[in-house]
Amino acid sequence: MTRLAKGGLIDRTKPLSFSFDGKRLSGFEGDTLASALVANDVRLVGRSFKYHRPRGILTAGSEEPNALVTLGVGAHAEPNTRATTATLYEGLEARSQNRWPSLSFDMMAVNQLASPLFVAGFYYKTFMWPAKFWEAVYEPLIRRAAGLGELSTLPDPDHYDREHGFCDLLVIGGGPAGLAAALTAGRSGLRVILADENPRFGGRLLSERHEINGDAAHIWAAGAAAELACLPNVRLLSRTAVFGVYDGCEYGAVERVSDHVGKPASGQPRQRLWKIAAKRAILATGSIERPIVFGGNDRPGVMMASAVSSYINRYAAAPGRRAVVFTATDSGWSTAADLVAAGVDVAAIVDPRGGRGEFQTALLSAGVEILNGAVVTDVRGREVRNIDVRLADGGTRRIQADLLAVAGGWNPAIGLAANLGHRPRWSDEIQSFVVDQAPKGLRAAGAADGHFSLTMALADGLTQAAVAIEELGFKRASSPPLNANDDPCSVSALWHVDQSSTKAFVDFQHDVTDKDIGLAAREGFVSIEHLKRYTTLGMATDQGKTSQLNGHVLLAAATGKSIAETGTILSRAPYQPVAVGVFAGPHRERWYRPERHTAGHDFAVALGASFMDSGEWKRAQWFARPGEAHWLDTVNREVMATRRGVGVCDVSTLGKIDVQGSDAGTLLDRLYINMFSTLAVGKARYGVMLREDGFVMDDGTTTRFAEDHFFVTTTTANAGKVMQHIDFARNVLWPELDVQAISVTEHWSTYAVAGPLSRALLQKVFPNVDLSNGALPFMGATEFQWLDDAARIYRISFSGELAYEVSVPSRLGDRLMRTLFTEGREFDVVPYGIEALSVMRVEKGHAAGNELNGETTASDLGMGRMMSKKKDFIGRVMAERPGLVDPNRPALVGLKPVERSQVMRAGGHLLEKGAKPIAANDQGHVTSALHSPNLGHSIALALLARGPERHGERIVVHDPVRGDDVEAEVCSPVFFDPEGGRLRG
Amino acid sequence: MADALDFVEIDNFGLATVLARKGNGAAEIGNALGAEVAVGPRFIPGSTTLLGCGPGHWLAFTERSEPGWHQAVAGMLKGLASVSDQSSGYVVHRLSGPAARQVLQRGAPVDLDPSVFGPGMVATTVIAHITVTIWQVDDAPTYFIAFFRSYARSLRHWVELTAAAL
Repeated sequence: MTRLAKGGLIDRTKPLSFSFDGKRLSGFEGDTLASALVANDVRLVGRSFKYHRPRGILTAGSEEPNALVTLGVGAHAEPNTRATTATLYEGLEARSQNRWPSLSFDMMAVNQLASPLFVAGFYYKTFMWPAKFWEAVYEPLIRRAAGLGELSTLPDPDHYDREHGFCDLLVIGGGPAGLAAALTAGRSGLRVILADENPRFGGRLLSERHEINGDAAHIWAAGAAAELACLPNVRLLSRTAVFGVYDGCEYGAVERVSDHVGKPASGQPRQRLWKIAAKRAILATGSIERPIVFGGNDRPGVMMASAVSSYINRYAAAPGRRAVVFTATDSGWSTAADLVAAGVDVAAIVDPRGGRGEFQTALLSAGVEILNGAVVTDVRGREVRNIDVRLADGGTRRIQADLLAVAGGWNPAIGLAANLGHRPRWSDEIQSFVVDQAPKGLRAAGAADGHFSLTMALADGLTQAAVAIEELGFKRASSPPLNANDDPCSVSALWHVDQSSTKAFVDFQHDVTDKDIGLAAREGFVSIEHLKRYTTLGMATDQGKTSQLNGHVLLAAATGKSIAETGTILSRAPYQPVAVGVFAGPHRERWYRPERHTAGHDFAVALGASFMDSGEWKRAQWFARPGEAHWLDTVNREVMATRRGVGVCDVSTLGKIDVQGSDAGTLLDRLYINMFSTLAVGKARYGVMLREDGFVMDDGTTTRFAEDHFFVTTTTANAGKVMQHIDFARNVLWPELDVQAISVTEHWSTYAVAGPLSRALLQKVFPNVDLSNGALPFMGATEFQWLDDAARIYRISFSGELAYEVSVPSRLGDRLMRTLFTEGREFDVVPYGIEALSVMRVEKGHAAGNELNGETTASDLGMGRMMSKKKDFIGRVMAERPGLVDPNRPALVGLKPVERSQVMRAGGHLLEKGAKPIAANDQGHVTSALHSPNLGHSIALALLARGPERHGERIVVHDPVRGDDVEAEVCSPVFFDPEGGRLRG
Repeated sequence: MADALDFVEIDNFGLATVLARKGNGAAEIGNALGAEVAVGPRFIPGSTTLLGCGPGHWLAFTERSEPGWHQAVAGMLKGLASVSDQSSGYVVHRLSGPAARQVLQRGAPVDLDPSVFGPGMVATTVIAHITVTIWQVDDAPTYFIAFFRSYARSLRHWVELTAAAL
């Protein structure tokens, strides 16, 4: 154990046991998995991606590239979890990744011997030839060898939900600048959301030893968070990572609701997606310490200096026993002081710059050797054992140590500010990129804006909040000043140690070395974006938070350009990895999208319906009875029973639109190819509408209930589209018309009652309505009262039978359905589903969805003569294009197999007999095909070139995918009762 | 959950779409109905309340409907507005309890903070991919939420999941 005897923001009264690779270990509440591993002296935590090199913990934050583990087991297993952000909980089980058979002995480490093979662009260079080897050999090989954690492949057992946040000011990051900004804004009355990815607020105040207003900084942070929690206008979101900035001042964030407790409480989501709309936002995400590129900089025991300070100060865990600090910035000296204070032996400070007077005296007195003007060249040992240093005088020194703390300088964490395409600007002053232009409403503050000293960060938080307060028209509340000890923060960046002799890593997670960058540059990949893709620098799950800048600087050096000229990449959302489940939320499996049920749904279930999806609707497909072995038996029975007696089909899903107003008829004349202004009150008419491009859009019947009131129906599939089309026409095309339209689809439950006995059945249910041919002829409609509410009967037939559609308000829909079946018993009424409905409509040659496929004209469907010459209508001009009036266009016909037992299938292509089955000979295709129980054989609707002229001709239905060729006779699409005598009966 | 959220379907309400005819607006429609009609996404409570859903577009709502209610509304507005009965098209729930606002906010991407959305306000928005119209009737807060009848199961499923996560 390397747990320090005292200190740290952990609760030593609450020990927690956990396991890593099956070994039982213990930590305390307040630990992360990483800090608990450090406290247990676990140094080797994973294997690298390409070379399978042993890796330890590099950082203490969400930028961690190395310490990726699989958390949990079975379906709960979550691969690639950063140990540095995983809160420790009782019973946590973690496993290392990317090793076989074990972490300490990994067979794949032989990859290192083959490392010349794995240089930049190795995929492109190595696995090129022969081409067919790619899928069969290379890709499976690469996939097995590479990759980090593995998915469980089991369904995700967790829940995810979402929330919407609205605020005047979103503060992203709860470190010193963020807390200062949130306090000022909160006290001034702004609606504030403060989001921080950590479980507690304070940022670096929790990891460093500072004082604010005389208190230890972490005490001040806790006080600030407590005050914010008491302000009703402030919402604190801990464990919440803002991952993206979107148009319109919107931000995406993930709140980790239950990740820290192992198993969510009943009903609790694991994570919650937040969409936050913020008038202003402050990016107070702090900065990320960057490594230095030198030999062996990836060895377990090499750690960022800031992480060393975090583990000591926040978690009371010493990451080593004897340390060397390699620093190009003042903050590294603070880490040395932290180590000394914690009682860790510090062998030396290696600083390539000159001396640092303010620290030097104290450290010297603690026996620390100070090596100014020196650099670390190589780290020796599988884990850090010896550190080779080149001294200022050119000599070398080997220092024995097990910990090397590295401080290369600080990069503002400004990825979010680039999400909308704003390019960062190079700053010579801080030797890093800073925000230049930012998304609307967003400003960086504190360390994220390059103000690294605590005093400056606090002041900048106050300043940026004041700007937002003023811009939004609030009055700034007076706040007491924030007095902090100042910390020196100068830096003379050192990017790369040229004298190294061993492998020096730039991107730890993707195993990109300094040599890879040089090679890419030599091979011509000199743009930042090309370098990224060729070497995969910064493309791992950490998105290069620790590596990107070092890589870009090396590219600049290799190409002889300045860093500013070389530039940097634009960070895209998500800034942190986000589980895809959180985007889906509750919308998965059965609840992937909403379901729509008709009012008669439950009764249909009781009748034995099988359902199919029609968009979101559940529609009864058929109603199987005991003893029916095949669905076709069921459908045949439903068709025959309807044609011989009476059947009922729920057609409530058809779109229904009330079109009213003094110009309603005029609008409909412009929407449909045929006339509606001439339709008599109490009558229905079939209509076809075109898209602007002249193709058929939709069809349906429209009924006139008053001079100024039409009732339009659409197909189920196009209900929404036609509603939009009508609204567009009346609001945008012809706003001068007095016409109103609204969907009433949901208000009406409608049942088709079809068959020779349909009139008798309805007459029994509605004895006071005159259903005689004289009172209600074909295409007539009537309104009446049923159970104190409005009801309607339309004499419309899709089946070709004597048929009615009866409509009642949906509240009464279930009641009517049950009544029809109770009263219909004496008529042997049957329910029929949409399969039987399809059989009957194909027998009658009615076009439906398969024929209204967006590629057919009214003429193609045999309805060319409906196109009125007396008026203009949408699509009229474009329907006259030469290609649309070409007489050779495929047009609607019926097909019967010459050999009646043969089966035609939809999708089959039509060829002249003896023609070679090639595209040039294609004459059209089958759109709908099914078995007609009335005719006793397969029938089909098809689109055939010059089809209407070819009735009686024999052609071949060619179906190379599913079966043999079928010889078929071209005929009228109306197979059944072509005179229409039945429906007028 | 039971204490935190009350989600009750109401029956026997009347609901009808009112679309102003050319040249008419809130004033003319209000006069004809003998009611005050607010402009914008708002409403003024009355025996029949007009919920603002868009320019010249309201949902007329009454908590207790008598047979023929919608015809009566249509009769009063003859020539002034087109009226379509929607009493069966929607289901309406009353949502109240300490968690009411929070539950709605988890679903609706509109700002329901009392400083922005209060009694007398209407929003037509989307919850769980389902179009809803929400109106707030008091400071408790109590909301009414109307959505198409066919979506009732899916929306209730979302309410159950969301309430369980409180």
